[in-house]
Amino acid sequence: MIDLLGYAAFFLSTALIFAIITLGLNLQWGQTGLFNVGVAGFVAIGAYTSALLTTPETAGRLGGFGLPILAGWVAAMAVTALVAGITGYVTLRLKADYLAISTFGVAVVTQLVALNARGLTGGPFGVAFIPRPFGALADRPALFNFTSCGVVLAVTVLTYLALEHLTRSPWGRVLRALREDERAAVSLGKSARSYRIQAFAVGGAVMGLAGAVQAHLIGFIAPDNYVPTLTFQVWAMLMAGGSGSNRGAVAGALVVWAVWVGAGALSAALVPQAFQARAAALQIVVIGVMLCVILLWRPQGFFGPRRRRTPGGG
Amino acid sequence: MAAMLETDGLVAGYEPGLPIVRGASIRVEPQEIVVILGPNGAGKSSLIKAIAGLVPISGGAVRLAGVEITRVPAHRMVQAGLAFVPQTENVFPLLSVQDNLRVSAGGLPRADTAARIEEMFALFPDLARQRRLMAGSLSGGQRQMLAAARALIVRPRVLMLDEPSAGLSPRFVEMVFARLAEIRRGGVTVVLVEQNARAALAIGDRAYVLVEGRVAHEAPAATLWDDPVVAELYLGQRSDGGR
Amino acid sequence: MALQFLLNGLIEGSMIGLGAIGVTLTYAILRFSNFAHGDFMAWGAYSTLMLVGLIGSAVGTVAPIGPLSFGWPLILAGLGGMVFTGCLALLLDWLLFARLRARGQAIVVVMASFGASMALRNLLEFAFTSSPTYFSRKIQIARPIGLGIRITPDQTVLLGMTLVLVVGMHLLMTYSRTGREMKAVSQNPALARVVGIDLDRIVRMTWLIGGALASAAGLMVGVLVQIRPLMGLDMLLPMFAAAILGGIGSVPGAVLGGLVIGLSQAASVQLVGAEWRQAVAFVILVAVLLVRPTGLFGVQER
Repeated sequence: MIDLLGYAAFFLSTALIFAIITLGLNLQWGQTGLFNVGVAGFVAIGAYTSALLTTPETAGRLGGFGLPILAGWVAAMAVTALVAGITGYVTLRLKADYLAISTFGVAVVTQLVALNARGLTGGPFGVAFIPRPFGALADRPALFNFTSCGVVLAVTVLTYLALEHLTRSPWGRVLRALREDERAAVSLGKSARSYRIQAFAVGGAVMGLAGAVQAHLIGFIAPDNYVPTLTFQVWAMLMAGGSGSNRGAVAGALVVWAVWVGAGALSAALVPQAFQARAAALQIVVIGVMLCVILLWRPQGFFGPRRRRTPGGG
Repeated sequence: MAAMLETDGLVAGYEPGLPIVRGASIRVEPQEIVVILGPNGAGKSSLIKAIAGLVPISGGAVRLAGVEITRVPAHRMVQAGLAFVPQTENVFPLLSVQDNLRVSAGGLPRADTAARIEEMFALFPDLARQRRLMAGSLSGGQRQMLAAARALIVRPRVLMLDEPSAGLSPRFVEMVFARLAEIRRGGVTVVLVEQNARAALAIGDRAYVLVEGRVAHEAPAATLWDDPVVAELYLGQRSDGGR
Repeated sequence: MALQFLLNGLIEGSMIGLGAIGVTLTYAILRFSNFAHGDFMAWGAYSTLMLVGLIGSAVGTVAPIGPLSFGWPLILAGLGGMVFTGCLALLLDWLLFARLRARGQAIVVVMASFGASMALRNLLEFAFTSSPTYFSRKIQIARPIGLGIRITPDQTVLLGMTLVLVVGMHLLMTYSRTGREMKAVSQNPALARVVGIDLDRIVRMTWLIGGALASAAGLMVGVLVQIRPLMGLDMLLPMFAAAILGGIGSVPGAVLGGLVIGLSQAASVQLVGAEWRQAVAFVILVAVLLVRPTGLFGVQER
């Protein structure tokens, strides 16, 4: 029984980390209309930054500064915000598609660095021995899972409240005005771009934080964790939850992660070992089709505000 | 006899439930020049764009020489015999003058195209000298000429123009309107939306005054200027609309 | 050895350029960057592979042509793959993109292409697994052509194919009615309708051409490197970079952009190693966006 609860706590922790990433994407896309196809890259940057700063010294790899976990998290947010801000600075005066392409590029290059810059990232083997909050409890798995879950929950709630506050602030109102009304954007001129860069950087910081928290939850990271599938899951979560609403982002993350894990467990139980890889591929196909179907028939998502995103013109 | 172009209680607008044209009925006889006037926002442009198939129509009918063309898609209007010259962005800036004409002559038989292009150059000799130039580098007046040539190349029965004189110098305005009168003598029916009422009425046969998407008044062009009803409906706005 | 990178770059650039033509046309005419374009490449390669198998089972083993690694079945299958991939692109447009386009939110179409890309790629993994396969496992002998450069017969023929396709595309865009109409639509879709251009026909042509050229690029990668479900995704960033470097909407620009990126990637292999290839494309992309976002042959967007 306690094991089951422990597993539930672990499941919830993972789902909540997705919720944090989705909250970051919601600020970028849902609130500001900025398209990010490189979510996985920003999450990876956060994870690696925090890991490098907090792990004990390791031979053959830079970093291992043994800093406190919280310092790692703050640095993760700062570095990711910087990368997101630069990406926004380069592309946000241009067409929306160029931001999408550039974020895709950021994710590809981050993946390359993670895989190949062994001296920095440990290469394909990744970084291990990342300190875990309340790591002293590790020999009591259930309790450890509960405390970890508590930490993730606290971070999620804080992020949620902070973003809700930002959304309601004058700053958030400007972002919504920019998204809804191009004339407002034009009248704001140069500062419109600056607002968008800020929103993109803050959203990136939230993703970086999520990456860092996850790294410290698992204690080990590798390039495989940050493939395009991750980006894609987060998009499915946001679209299912209904972009524009922080509550929807969290709900979407929980539901899609449950569906994902459920489908995985089901195929693990039903599909013979030899076909597991194929079943996993099919799982992604289904989510891909689901994303397209949501875009086609329910663009407001399942939990989102009941409003039409597009005027029925043209 | 059927009118050359006729709208019957036309309702049209970009967003459903928000019509800009609200039941406009006009009738244009063969080889007439009809001017459509009205205060800003009266729906003049939207009316001819709806006729051209560019603004969704939600009610009423459009007939061209007795044939209903209400739901004909915009790209088939040329074949139906209706040509339209938008107010702005009415040439392809990155195609040469010649290619602008060629791309607009798609509906003609291939053998006919080259000869027809030369006919257009004969009609607009200014353009002939610039045939290899990118249309984007033409002056405003030359662009209007090219836009008109582009519309005429398919031998339309009706030519509709949206503010052909907008942004042109007085010398060019005069030239454009003189050319329109010439085009009509060649057998083409002309429908004109114009802010420059004086110049348009000088060559027009009749005029409609549009207010809030409906026809508020109709009169021969020659007498319209002195019509008291019109003065009240439209000319009161002349200070900001009539230029 | 030193100059061999020129040939390698030319080949890599050809693959990128062929794909980038489709990217640039889709962007110019349909106004969105299609993230599924790389997967058209992979689908082209796999459909060609399937057709080769089909032909093989119908007529038995066919001897390769001269020193090449393949015979006429691959040529026939390659053409079939181009048709198939063009139709796949059409189908995807009809099912997904056209409906979203009608609502007028361009960036939602980009997102849908991202979802479609995931689905397409993983369908391939589902059907063929993620392990690479080959058209032929024959080792080809590279012959010296001077300056210390060596080239295999397959490479020669496929470079020739690229040249034919690129010149053909250029002629189509410059001298055919369809090409002129495509240019007209990319400059002003509303005016294009007014002058009597059937937008739906132009959209269909765009997808057919883009899909077919992606398939040809996929065939080239498949013959000269290998066939994998991820082969298209790996080419996506270089293709986008090439299209933007060349100037969106310009076919010669896309090809030239592809060659620049291909050569830079090949040159960088000597300096930083092959694994950093895509980073080179990214650096060029960012540089173009910073210095000249309209690209080499582009014009200011309206």
